[in-house]
Amino acid sequence: MHYSRAHIWFVGPAVLLMFIILIFPILLAGGISFTNYNLGNSSFEWIGLENYEKMFSRKTYIKMIWATATYVLIVVPFSVVIGLCAAMLLNSLRFGADIYKTIFFLPVMATLLAMAIAWEFTLHPTMGLVNSFLANGCGGIREFILGFHWLPWVNSNESWYHIACENNNDFPFWLKDRGYAIWTVCFIGVWQAFGFNMVLYLAGLTSIPRELYHAAEMDGAKSTWEQFKLVTWPMLGPTTLFVITITTIRSFQVFDTIEVLTKGGPSKSTYVMMYAIFEKGIQQNLTAIAAAITVVFIIFVILLTFFQRYVIEKRVHY
Amino acid sequence: MKNNQYIGEGWKHAILIIGALVVLLPFYMVVSISLKSQQEIQSISGGLIGAQEVQTFPVCTKMGMSEKTCTMKPYVYNYWFAFKKAPIARYLLNGLFVTVSIFLIQILIALPCAYALSKLRFYGREFIFSMVLFCLLIPVHAIALPLYVMLAKVGLVDTYAALIIPWTISVFGIFLMRQFFMTVPDELIDAARMDGMGEYSIVWKVMLPTAIPALLAFAIFSVVAHWNDYFWPRIVITGNRDLFTPPLGIREFRGGVDSDEFGPMMASIVTITVPLVVAFIIAQKRFIEGITMTGMK
Repeated sequence: MHYSRAHIWFVGPAVLLMFIILIFPILLAGGISFTNYNLGNSSFEWIGLENYEKMFSRKTYIKMIWATATYVLIVVPFSVVIGLCAAMLLNSLRFGADIYKTIFFLPVMATLLAMAIAWEFTLHPTMGLVNSFLANGCGGIREFILGFHWLPWVNSNESWYHIACENNNDFPFWLKDRGYAIWTVCFIGVWQAFGFNMVLYLAGLTSIPRELYHAAEMDGAKSTWEQFKLVTWPMLGPTTLFVITITTIRSFQVFDTIEVLTKGGPSKSTYVMMYAIFEKGIQQNLTAIAAAITVVFIIFVILLTFFQRYVIEKRVHY
Repeated sequence: MKNNQYIGEGWKHAILIIGALVVLLPFYMVVSISLKSQQEIQSISGGLIGAQEVQTFPVCTKMGMSEKTCTMKPYVYNYWFAFKKAPIARYLLNGLFVTVSIFLIQILIALPCAYALSKLRFYGREFIFSMVLFCLLIPVHAIALPLYVMLAKVGLVDTYAALIIPWTISVFGIFLMRQFFMTVPDELIDAARMDGMGEYSIVWKVMLPTAIPALLAFAIFSVVAHWNDYFWPRIVITGNRDLFTPPLGIREFRGGVDSDEFGPMMASIVTITVPLVVAFIIAQKRFIEGITMTGMK
């Protein structure tokens, strides 16, 4: 260690910027959220908790919280589980794993906005490949598989697929239909995120010592499933925790797909928090209410990370 | 037994191929539409590349160009018209300028700070490090609104500065570099001091070269994130087309989805997405390392 005054010039700019760009805005958002300030107005009044009361009582914001929660609660588990399954499958392959890895990682790399538009076309009711694929499959094997006719309790004349075929190919308008839009957006979210999780899991898998599997086999864990339960899953604990946290934080921040595809609609079914902040704060100039949403958002994210650190310290020790 | 394993392998490939098809579906769609004519797009015919029949494009002639210049194959028309309609090259250069500036400033600020936090002893060091750890919790997108208010107050909305300023400080970069510098032996620095090097030259001539692998990973992480970022540019660039970054350019094309022609629109998407995807395919290992590096800390 060395004593010097150079540190002031080394640390100074970073500390200053951290304060101006990261810490001060939080305080500012907190401050604005207790006022009726609008960008452009020169004066404002303190109105206490009114913005927060609005947020938790008005229908729009209740829908916002629902949409955000739905998105996070769908995208996180699905992208984590699919990522894990893909990683395990790739890890057990004899050949070709690298090609799949590249393909599955492409959505992570490609500009999400561009890909959202690509999905919009793919899911387009008349020009999209998906609906034409479904329509061409009426009465055939596609109807059997995707209509779940192979499940014993599904009546093949009453499956969603069959009904759509009967009604002149009335397949869902994925992004324009209130009942489907949020699930479609979730699907795109999973499509985009699972490759990232897969790569993290692949790294986690390679760090598991081979001997553990031999030891598990000695102890009688012969089947793949038992070995997974006994060795793989516990050893991947820290990776899983990290993957879940980072996916959750990213899902909370979903914006691109919503802005370009649904604009929060139909009837606010996809009105997620980041989009609400954008719409209220930037487009409609309702700065104060958007600041309140920002504060709630930041609290969510920080609590989540603290929770992760807590769990890491308490439990994930092997 | 052996037979069984082959069957198992076959099943795995079957599942993975279906997965790969779903993943590639939108990519196929974009490339295909960017090559085909409007009629083929709307009737979903022509497979991947369409029939490529030479034809005269009405949208083009309406713009006052002669019939001869407007007669060509669909794929030529789509790409030609995409470039004609919007300054795509400008968008790409903007993207390059913004991402490179962000990265360079991040390094300029993070590297000395990381060095001081790991190798210098001074009053308040622990406090500053805990400040870094706290700031790691704050996603910049989440505080976009107050940042926007601040930039609007100082009149910086619709400038390059607005695109760059919020990203100049990368606490993650500081954290990463600090962890990396902790592993650099003190003897190396002491030797440099013996040779009469000042602290400034130590940072740039001794520490920087040792940190190249970490820097490279960080560069990829940073460039990919900001090249693809749509949220922040959407907020601070309100109308000035000269400042559009690639995602904003794509958004502009998307504007009139129902009236517009889809071929040129998809051609612009392909043009804007291709640089990064090609770079990724060439330097795959580095990219995956760089982007997932957040997971290795």
